[in-house]
Amino acid sequence: MRRFTVGRLDGWTVALVLVLSNIPTFQLSAQHFAIGPQIAFGDYRETSSDLRYRGSGIGAKASMSWKKFSADVWLSKVKYKPEGGTATTEFDASEIDVLLRYYVAGPFSAELGFVNRKADPEFEAQSVGTVTAGAQMAHLLGPGVRMTLDGGLMLGPKFSGGGSVSAVGAVRLGLGITVDALRGRLRVTGDYDFQSLSRETDNGSGSLSAPIQQSLGRIGLAIAF
Amino acid sequence: MRRSTWLFIALPLLLPAVLSAQTIQNATLRRAQQAFDNLEYRQALSAAQASLRERLSGYERARAYELLGFTYSGMDSILKAVEAFKQVVLIEPERDLDPNRTSPKALSAFQVALTQILVIRQLRVDSVQFVGGQGVVPIRYTVTQPSRVVARVTGGALGGGAMRIDSTVANGQVNIRWPARLPSGDPVPAGNYNVVIEASVGQNSFSTSQPIRVAHGAVDTLPHLTSLPGYTYLPETEVPPKSWRPMGLALVYTGVALAGTSALSNGDLGSPSLREGTVIGLGIVAAGFVMTLKKPAPQPARGNILYNQLLREQIARRNTEIAQENTRRRQQVALSVVPLPRTGGGR
Repeated sequence: MRRFTVGRLDGWTVALVLVLSNIPTFQLSAQHFAIGPQIAFGDYRETSSDLRYRGSGIGAKASMSWKKFSADVWLSKVKYKPEGGTATTEFDASEIDVLLRYYVAGPFSAELGFVNRKADPEFEAQSVGTVTAGAQMAHLLGPGVRMTLDGGLMLGPKFSGGGSVSAVGAVRLGLGITVDALRGRLRVTGDYDFQSLSRETDNGSGSLSAPIQQSLGRIGLAIAF
Repeated sequence: MRRSTWLFIALPLLLPAVLSAQTIQNATLRRAQQAFDNLEYRQALSAAQASLRERLSGYERARAYELLGFTYSGMDSILKAVEAFKQVVLIEPERDLDPNRTSPKALSAFQVALTQILVIRQLRVDSVQFVGGQGVVPIRYTVTQPSRVVARVTGGALGGGAMRIDSTVANGQVNIRWPARLPSGDPVPAGNYNVVIEASVGQNSFSTSQPIRVAHGAVDTLPHLTSLPGYTYLPETEVPPKSWRPMGLALVYTGVALAGTSALSNGDLGSPSLREGTVIGLGIVAAGFVMTLKKPAPQPARGNILYNQLLREQIARRNTEIAQENTRRRQQVALSVVPLPRTGGGR
């Protein structure tokens, strides 16, 4: 069964390369859309250092650009497993990240987006939804190699277990790279996303700190159109 | 039989007749010449006068009068010498004395003789080639007395008619510039023509002519330009020098991301996980390192691009002008004017 799967993958790869090789180059000039799969790996912590998880999973990334606008959309599903501490039950974190950008000047773009992460089972970890706002800085390292650094605030986050975050208590940081291959028809993508939410809850006896923190790495391929 | 072969056969037959016309055959005249060479002027005088009563060719007659002129000059009879030289010039208007081999008295008498008769000498039409309407045929001649001189062109496509090209009162050397155009402005048709110069004063008149051949040809067109002399295209891209900038940028970005992760992580959750950031950061640093070692991609050289654009525009503009010029030239005709050997003197 395993050999059959690998054989099918090889076949798809060959077919993909053949298709890409036959796409005329002149179309590349108008290509502003890329989509492809990713593998994801992350670290998730909640409330204290005893609730610590690590995991890996799959994802996908779509990118597009038009004039001064660009957008990135990530989908990922990571199976987090307890990593020492007191946690005993693993859970799946399904996340969608959307970032819209507007080029400002030099290497800088303004960013606006949202993050939505759902935990399954529902009560093993906090599901969270928030709007993000920030900025991105991008540089070309060389022909077809582009790296980005972005960061911003996560505004008005909502948690499945309640709680709130102060105005500047939720931040995110990102690092990314895209490397063009096959004359720009194929891209290798790598993204790092760090989220830190200084969440506080109140069970009636006063405010309690229940921070949430996730580091997520994603590596994948994308086909550019 | 070919034309050159006929010429080869006819030349030995014609040559003695031509040579005899230019040598003194008359015995009396030869005796007179010999007496003059021996400084026996009286004997030379009587022999030369006797030869003139005999049948002489034009050349011999001119030599006889010339001999009389030299002899009278030697005998200090200047007036008679002048009269004799006048006869020489009337028979051979182009005749000139060699100043290195002629006595000053004889030369002086010859010059006086020239001023006392009306002749046109040294008519020359220069060989020339030019585009019809854009050049002239230089014609020059010398008239020995102040007179009304009319220059005309006859023959060729003009048939029995003549085309006046100049009319002036002149004395001495005269230069004319003939544009070789018909009254309509068109270039004269190809053919053989005669440039006739007629001088008249009072009852005296003299005319001489010079045959010319006018040929038509196509005007050369200009080739189109692919480059301007002295100007070459510059490369529109240039490779920037290698630098460590990509590596530096990659390190800075990765460092900021990892430092930011540490700084922003919540202390209650223990030491932050840098695994994910490090993996992506290492990828970025590796890419930066490769880009640092790699030959930089050529960058557009804006100055050179503008220069090349300017050069292309200049060449295109020049080629447009050349195309217009060639269109005009194809409607033109190249005139070639060549003087032909003269068949006789003037009168």
